[in-house]
Amino acid sequence: MVDQEQDGMLPIANVGRIMKQILPPRAKISKEAKQTMQECATEFLSFVTGEASDKCHKENRKTVNGDDICWALSALGFDNYAQAAMRYLHKYREAERDKAAANNNQNTENIASHGGLQVKEQIQTSNLEFRALEKGDNSLITKP
Amino acid sequence: MRQPGRYSGLTMCGGISGRTGPHSLPLARIKKIMKNSGEDVKMISGEAPIVFSKACEMFIEELTRRSWMTTLEGKRRTVHKDDVASAVVATGIFDFLVSLVSGSCCSEDITLVEIETLKS
Repeated sequence: MVDQEQDGMLPIANVGRIMKQILPPRAKISKEAKQTMQECATEFLSFVTGEASDKCHKENRKTVNGDDICWALSALGFDNYAQAAMRYLHKYREAERDKAAANNNQNTENIASHGGLQVKEQIQTSNLEFRALEKGDNSLITKP
Repeated sequence: MRQPGRYSGLTMCGGISGRTGPHSLPLARIKKIMKNSGEDVKMISGEAPIVFSKACEMFIEELTRRSWMTTLEGKRRTVHKDDVASAVVATGIFDFLVSLVSGSCCSEDITLVEIETLKS
């Protein structure tokens, strides 16, 4: 049963699961409460996106990126979400870099033709100690 | 020690695949909602829905926790729509949701809050 209206919102099953995980085991959630939460979460998405999109527009940028979302979250008062989202984003970027580097390792002859960034990743993967440092606590590196 | 589920999931599942994967909300759907939010939203980077999946999850968790407080006050164990509405009204940063929840709830308190908001 596909409801067109439902298609424009976050899936109620996912929303319900997140709600259930945070509540005590014996707690129950009415269907209407899940629906309301679904609407609220969808509205939250639109609201923050609008703010991020406005910023991009003012700065003459066409693409809304992860940093814009984090900025918008902070601007709208969701500071704790912004901080956690930034950490999540950095983890994601790190994982993507590692993945790309692992792929590059298999194609060493193509590295020279792809430019500086690829060469840098090649160096990182071949030096295991350096890689271990990267995966450690980054706060040590950033502190003066 | 890091949580194994979330971060190892990122490296193993590779992030965006249309499936839920390691994220609790589907990235394709998030992207769709983002695109629908306004005319200006033309291009969205691959990482934006990923950031949002985390932020949305936190939002749902917070609103659920606050709703549950209202449920407990009423000595109940089932979270109702009105509990969610009360949590929205009681939390400043959720002001943008007041009209959304008051549409489905006829509480006098919510109407008063709306008038107050309009005045300011």
